[in-house]
Amino acid sequence: MTQRSPSSFSIRPFLYHARGPLLIGLCLSCLATLANFGLLFLSGWLLAGAAAAGLGGVITQNMFNMGLPAVGVRFFATVRIVARYAERLVTHDAAFRVTGQLRTHSFQTLIPRSESLATRTRSGDVLTRFVNDTEKLGQFPLDVLLPTLSATFCSTVSVGITAYFSPSAACALAGGLLIGGLLLPWMIGRLTDHLAQANTQRSTVLHNDILETIQGMADLLCCGAAPRQLARITAHQTQLNRQTFAHALRCNIIRNILPILSIVCVLSVIACAAHGLETGQLNGPELPMLGMGALASFEMIAPLMEARLAQERFRQAALRSEELCSLPVLTPPPQTTTALPSARELSFDQVSLRFHEENLLKDISFSLQPGERIAVTGSSGAGKSTLARLAVRLIDPDQGRITFGGTPLTRFTTEDLSEHIGMLTQTAHLFQGSIKRNLLMACPTATDAQIHQALVAVGLDEEINAMPNGLETLCGDHGVRLSGGQARRLSAAQILLRRPTLLVLDEPTESLPPTTGVALMEGLLTALPEASVLCITHRPEPLSFMHRILHLECGHLTEKGGDASPH
Amino acid sequence: MAECLRAHPRPTLSGLTNRASLPLALSVTLGGIGATLLIGQMYLLATIVTDIAFRHHTLYQEKTLALLLLLAVMLRALCQAGADSCGDLAGQKATASLRLEVIEHLFQVGPVGLSHQNSGHIATTLSEGIDALQPYIARYMPRAAAMVVTPLLIMAVVLKLDIWSFLILAVTGPLIPLFMALVGYGAQSIMDRKWTELLLLGASFLDMLQGITTLRLFGRSRDSVTLVAHMAHQHRQSTMAVMRVAFLTSAVLEFFSSLSIALVAVAFGARLLNASFAFQDAFIVLLLAPEFFMPLRNFSASYHARQNATSAFKPIIALLKLPALRDLPPTTRPSPLPNIFTLEINDLRAGYGKDEDTLKGVSATFRPNELTVITGASGSGKSTLLRLLLGMMPPRQGSLSLRLTNGRTHTIQDAPIGWVPQRPFILADSISANLRLGAPDASDELLQQILEEVGLWNTITALPNSLQTILGENGAPFSAGQIRRLALARALLGHPQILLFDEPTSDLDEENARLVASCLARTVHTGRISLAITHRHDLLEQAHHILHLSQGRLAPMERSAA
Repeated sequence: MTQRSPSSFSIRPFLYHARGPLLIGLCLSCLATLANFGLLFLSGWLLAGAAAAGLGGVITQNMFNMGLPAVGVRFFATVRIVARYAERLVTHDAAFRVTGQLRTHSFQTLIPRSESLATRTRSGDVLTRFVNDTEKLGQFPLDVLLPTLSATFCSTVSVGITAYFSPSAACALAGGLLIGGLLLPWMIGRLTDHLAQANTQRSTVLHNDILETIQGMADLLCCGAAPRQLARITAHQTQLNRQTFAHALRCNIIRNILPILSIVCVLSVIACAAHGLETGQLNGPELPMLGMGALASFEMIAPLMEARLAQERFRQAALRSEELCSLPVLTPPPQTTTALPSARELSFDQVSLRFHEENLLKDISFSLQPGERIAVTGSSGAGKSTLARLAVRLIDPDQGRITFGGTPLTRFTTEDLSEHIGMLTQTAHLFQGSIKRNLLMACPTATDAQIHQALVAVGLDEEINAMPNGLETLCGDHGVRLSGGQARRLSAAQILLRRPTLLVLDEPTESLPPTTGVALMEGLLTALPEASVLCITHRPEPLSFMHRILHLECGHLTEKGGDASPH
Repeated sequence: MAECLRAHPRPTLSGLTNRASLPLALSVTLGGIGATLLIGQMYLLATIVTDIAFRHHTLYQEKTLALLLLLAVMLRALCQAGADSCGDLAGQKATASLRLEVIEHLFQVGPVGLSHQNSGHIATTLSEGIDALQPYIARYMPRAAAMVVTPLLIMAVVLKLDIWSFLILAVTGPLIPLFMALVGYGAQSIMDRKWTELLLLGASFLDMLQGITTLRLFGRSRDSVTLVAHMAHQHRQSTMAVMRVAFLTSAVLEFFSSLSIALVAVAFGARLLNASFAFQDAFIVLLLAPEFFMPLRNFSASYHARQNATSAFKPIIALLKLPALRDLPPTTRPSPLPNIFTLEINDLRAGYGKDEDTLKGVSATFRPNELTVITGASGSGKSTLLRLLLGMMPPRQGSLSLRLTNGRTHTIQDAPIGWVPQRPFILADSISANLRLGAPDASDELLQQILEEVGLWNTITALPNSLQTILGENGAPFSAGQIRRLALARALLGHPQILLFDEPTSDLDEENARLVASCLARTVHTGRISLAITHRHDLLEQAHHILHLSQGRLAPMERSAA
């Protein structure tokens, strides 16, 4: 068993961090295993000893002291139970700690990579997989590390004890344990790793097929392609089944070599002991004792093959996690912290950005004065949202300069800017928990009065009051489903609570009925009358609130008349 | 949990085994043979040990027994490998058939029924969620059977050898499941009480990851790291509270098995010392006693497979409980009907779930070679009407029928229907694969002809890989307007007799909207009934008829084409 840490996404620091409980867990695990060994070893001797004494006649019967070994048996049995229970508690607790730290650390790593992550994870399942992977990695000490260490230590001890009675029997036992503990796990890894990898790939194909089926169901049905898609999924499923079965079959065969090996080894130990018996090195009762001991030793190394199989799963999980955690950071954090300037002018100076080999933005220049309201219109896919993301430094331009109050934006992080800039996105996430929790997420210091005010401004207060639990209504995946319009207005209320001096609105009225859209704009701008506004929109509703309208087309920004309206 | 499953005539967790009863039966049988061989193996081993230790035989004298022992061990290993593999096969068979059944069911639920579901969640439920059921069938089920078979066999052997040991095993054996059940129920009730808490905490990391950008925009990313750590801490504590009790189950099991082995040993010890009992028989019983409890231990080890399966099964059942709104899709596309006279909808009423009707009695007639534009504010029922026409949901009342010139009537599903959605779903495949979605046998010439008709041919031939260009997510490199025309081409390839447009020009800039509108105008011919749903005004000029929907009712403002 090699103790190679799975790839460079190393869990070593986290293991090191939890070394205390892990070490205690290891000790308890060894204690439990050795107690089990002692139990079988001693009870083998006890029975055989009693039998030998019984055959020997009255004198030997009286000389044989049943008391002490019987106490030993009870002692070992108790130790085994208690140690096993404590071990499970300690190691599971440690595994959860490792998972927790792994998650906290990877979360921290992913924060500055959020934009790269967003482009990678549009369908949502990459994140689900990452969550599962971190959980799996946290189990590493439980499934691989501790079983391996404990098996190594305990089997060495058992060989040592056997050697005390019969060195040759110990040699036979050591040979058997080496084959069972090293060769078989190596073999199972060698023969199944590539199949495990192939299975993962095939499962991904199947998963994507299913995702495609659900997402494109309307199109598939209307094109009459549903039966073909079903047939395709069935075919992929059949292939996957064939492969996983091949994997399972190999594992099952190799796993069942161990019991054969254990009996062969027990027989060899008995053969050596029999020789010892002839030479008088051993007495009769010690032979069953050594046999029982050998059986117990093979129980110690049984988890090693499972550990080897688990290791391949860890390796894959680590590779996938590493891939996510090494996504590029699109906006490198500034070296020094700069105080946010008091002047709030946002200007773009000859900003260009390429995306997919295409010039998405070319030499964009404009400036947003304090209190000014600018709309940017343009067809979908023209790069309007990119403009919004540039303004809060979620991404950096390839060329040109964006300044906030005269200071280059690269001196700040998105988090710094958030103090002054509030951005309403189309993809705002509602966290699980109550509506109130979501509002407090945006602004932890908000008072009930401020919350009420914000909800009134976006026209959501009555709807929330009508819900049975009011502000305590749970939202998110496991709560009520807010409608698209309600969610948008809740996001707007979150931004109002933060009282930004500059508002970036990305399609604020999209998918809202026109009247609701106008009301939302009115509420937002009445509540923040001083704020400068950069509003990205292809809908007409926000335009009447704006001072200037800019049009983005083919990467160029052109000014439109102040009262221009596309309709 | 059990109640909730029983209340519905849907597949239950234990009912899954029916899908793979043959391999499961084989697995259990092989396991049973293995158990018998195990007893033989222990008997042989005990005999060899006794012969050498007490009868002063040499190992050479025992060679027949030793060879028999090896044979028994190998046969048993073979049986066990076979039993496990059959179990795996059963697991695969049952989960694969369940997966296909759920997908088939989802096609019947259709896009309307699924509109409020998260597609990523469903996909995960169907792939990993169903995979989680596999260990339950492959391991838990055979072990549950082995838990009955092996101990009974061992009891029978022990009864022949020693009545006292038999009594000890017979008393302690049944106590174990009893105590395990008691402790297990304890764990279950803690689990039930903490279910929501555990669910939320378990999902909290995903939740934070999904909200990572939102957190940055709120300037909360630094705090949120602490929050993630805190929630991981809480999750650990509440899970450990459940686990403490769950591990007690195993401890109880260990306690009883140790206790009874110790009792057996002590009972023998006294009798062996009196020389009133043969060592060999005592040794066999001692070797068999741990094996008596082994299946129980294995079973309790695979118990979490059941726990996992139970929680993985909930969302699967939830999917199966979604009401079917449509029939299974037919395997063949309907062939064109000759001489359609009209499409008539008569007093159509429809709505969602338990809500009141969104469409409150709409009647209209649509004729070939004409474009009817249906307008109305959002919520007026125009999307519902479209869904009814597409057969994605059934009407609550009223009918949709096609009348032929010869007076015969057909249902709307009897004619090929084409649909141009507002946001077409783009397969991550080539342009031609996307186009052939509706017509797998369409020739390249036909593709070219239709692409020319929608004005995309030149754009596509300008691409380096032409028709073989792989489209990205959201249809890159095409613009939104081009994608809509691509969807139109896709629909036209199916030679539809009824062509439905869903908001063909919305979300497009003027130039693109104009292009799409002119394409649309060109397709209104050749005996085709065309319908467009829109809230914009730019299509009205091309319309032969305009239907205005308001609050689920028709407010006709018909006018002839300009």
